[in-house]
Amino acid sequence: MRLFKTLMAVAVGAVMTASGAIAETPKNTLVIADAIDDIITLDPAEVSEVGGVLASQQIYQPLVSFDPADPTKINGVLAESWSVSEDGKTFTFKMNPNAKFASGNPVTAADAEYSLQRVILLDSRISFILTQFGLNKDNVKDNIKAVDPQTLQLVVDQKYAPSFVLYVLSSFTGGIVDSAVVKQHEGKREDGSNDYGNAWLKAENSAGSGPYVLTKWDPKVSILLSRNENYWGTAPGVDRVFLQHMPESATQRLALEKGDIDIANKLGPDDIGAVSANPDVQILEGVSSTMYYFGLNVRNPALANPKVVEAIKYGVDYQGIADTIGKGTIKVHQTMIPDGFLGGGINYNPYSLDIEKAKALIAESGVATPIKLATVVWNVPPYPDYAQAVQATLSQIGVDLDLQVVDGGPWLDRYRSHDLDVWFGLWGPDYPDPHSNAKAFGNHDPSDPDGQKGNLADRFGWDSGKVSELVNQAVQEQDVEKRKALYDEAQRLHTDTSPFVFMFQDSRKVSMRKNVKGVVLGITFSDDRYGGVSKE
Amino acid sequence: MNRPLRLFIDIGSWLITVAITLVGLAALTFFIGRVLPIDPVLSIVGEKATPEVYQRVYLELGLDKPLWAQFWDYLGKLLRGDFGTSFSTSRPVLTDLLNFFPATLELSTIGLIIGVVLGVPMGVASAYWHEKWPDHVLRVVGLVGYSVPVFWLGLVGLFIFYYLLGWVSGPGQLDVFYVGVVKRITGSILIDSAIAGEWDIFFNAISHMTLPALLLGYYSLAYISRMTRSVMLDQLSREYVLTARLKGASEFRAVAGHALRNAAIPLVTVIALSYGGLLEGSVLIETIFSWPGIGNYIYSSLFAADMNAVLGGTLLVGVVFVLLNMLSDVLYRALDPRSREFAR
Repeated sequence: MRLFKTLMAVAVGAVMTASGAIAETPKNTLVIADAIDDIITLDPAEVSEVGGVLASQQIYQPLVSFDPADPTKINGVLAESWSVSEDGKTFTFKMNPNAKFASGNPVTAADAEYSLQRVILLDSRISFILTQFGLNKDNVKDNIKAVDPQTLQLVVDQKYAPSFVLYVLSSFTGGIVDSAVVKQHEGKREDGSNDYGNAWLKAENSAGSGPYVLTKWDPKVSILLSRNENYWGTAPGVDRVFLQHMPESATQRLALEKGDIDIANKLGPDDIGAVSANPDVQILEGVSSTMYYFGLNVRNPALANPKVVEAIKYGVDYQGIADTIGKGTIKVHQTMIPDGFLGGGINYNPYSLDIEKAKALIAESGVATPIKLATVVWNVPPYPDYAQAVQATLSQIGVDLDLQVVDGGPWLDRYRSHDLDVWFGLWGPDYPDPHSNAKAFGNHDPSDPDGQKGNLADRFGWDSGKVSELVNQAVQEQDVEKRKALYDEAQRLHTDTSPFVFMFQDSRKVSMRKNVKGVVLGITFSDDRYGGVSKE
Repeated sequence: MNRPLRLFIDIGSWLITVAITLVGLAALTFFIGRVLPIDPVLSIVGEKATPEVYQRVYLELGLDKPLWAQFWDYLGKLLRGDFGTSFSTSRPVLTDLLNFFPATLELSTIGLIIGVVLGVPMGVASAYWHEKWPDHVLRVVGLVGYSVPVFWLGLVGLFIFYYLLGWVSGPGQLDVFYVGVVKRITGSILIDSAIAGEWDIFFNAISHMTLPALLLGYYSLAYISRMTRSVMLDQLSREYVLTARLKGASEFRAVAGHALRNAAIPLVTVIALSYGGLLEGSVLIETIFSWPGIGNYIYSSLFAADMNAVLGGTLLVGVVFVLLNMLSDVLYRALDPRSREFAR
């Protein structure tokens, strides 16, 4: 009997929906499909996954931010104004008196102090973003300090370009939490130390000042954000933002075209091409700062020869790959700083596929062919496709890539080791300042020859010489225009001489329903802003 | 031997078998998890974290201890009902399993019902009209379900019935505006919404479930009908069926009353195993349909190197298999008098 009832219910359900019971997404809710199973936290002091940053950026605000349309313009958010001391080491922020948290508490310097300190005190996995200013557990209480309720002081260890410090503070790590609320929920970690509210902020709670508050986080399933009723800025045009875990590009496409979701964040090139024909769908184009490159380990004697490196740079069909595999989702970009960043956009792409020239260079180098190189690439599209295309053209110039397509773990292991020949990868900056890239690719630290501290130049065994000097000069340059000029010079030199073959910069293309207005695409990964969204 | 004692020994030996099976399963998954070339610390801290942070997490996970000590700790915790914490959800693994498993259970139960209700008659018909056209047609239908990748079938199904025809709802368990409305009691959205009397949510859930459940049903029907066919072929050629026919029993009585009754015994095992297969094997269906089930959970945890979650999920599936095996044993005995004789 129960069986019969169940079957009846299935039949009735099918009839119900056949008669048009399917509804569009509600006007007051923005539904975003994304792969969100990577999110392990929404606490701004430790968040760094793509999906997690995307969600937490809607909840928490930094002291300062920048205009995504013109990232060279830095503006105040929770800080109203700021100044830098004569010696360039002390940054003083005046808090914005209008800002308040979702709880109704005003945002004070004490909140900023607590929030930034806890990144360091928690030993957070993203603490490296702040520790690069010489901050550590011992000195953080002195160096990040609320002088009075409206004034925050940050002391850094040496003279830096002010724009560098400000860009870093504008990143997701700089999100300010409501210290009064979080302190009430402090607990203990396994080793007995204070968790500074980390467990509470990981469990469906939030304490921010942004346009939305966290209502429900069902890990690996969905995130529901609701409008912050106490928001001190312009209220968003929707009551809720619903992030649904929908990992499949093809499924997202169907749901978007059907109108069951408003934004599809994980469409592959093929599906973007397909939905662009739909009149109900709009494609927003933005800049992404993610870059695809491959690195050559100059510890390999063949690769230590600059002629071979140059030959390899001429042995890649950049435009061909961008057209056939990338299909408009990538553009050729051969310098270390992405377009959209300070110092980026110099449009210096000197290399294109030239088999004859490459062959001649190899002949000049005197290195015997074929040059066999062990290569690893991550087994996630589109990386293997890029690598295979490069493998095909390089084989024509006598360079044989022994291409291993591996899982993420071994892939990163090889990356961290220094015994590889060629590594295919991507790079996304951690904060929207050129130094994030320039330091990684251009800085040479003689005390760390294997690059254990994360410098890619050293991992690949490259003494970047003059580039390193320029990079270190640039990060201290106080004048923005001069700083820009330094990056220009450093990049050209880097592209000409480094063992890194930069190939592409991601072009963001986000598909959404026509009636969605006000989405602002960010320039670093997952910095999209939904605070001004409305639906017509 | 007297009967209660016999029963006692039976249950006792069964429990020992189950315990050994589960410890074996736990050991196997644990050690495979440890030798896999994935670094759980790295997945937590990310590749850009400082060595200090890495070291802290390394110690937190107890990875500095010898392997056997780690396994011993793990077993001890299991016995206390502690599956550890999943770092990718920041919740106890047990909580996660209770959260994700009902959705899978619900989907695959309906899938199995569809598979049995359609698959058994199909298999019987196939056997009855052996090598005639109904047999050929039904076998092709089954073969398609057996050989076409369920992933592809899912996308085609979505395209036709959701996108083009609009007969069913799309991916996910509910429409957005229904999410979180019904209080979670059993975890089964059908039961919970029925308890709450929220019938529009109930029907919305059915509409979302229809396509994946039908696909799972098709998948299991392919297997069940094939097995039914071969078992029935065997029974129909037996003498007792002939005898029944000679005695003047109707065709229906001979096939359904006599042959199918005897075929039911091996079929119970087939169905139980196919249920187990549905419970663990619906990963692809769950991925395509964004279904928040255990398959999705284990799969994404594995990719995140979230070993506590993977171990917990695998153990759960193992327990389910053991339980299903036990159930089929019990049913086997209930249906087949000879096995009861034997046990005595």
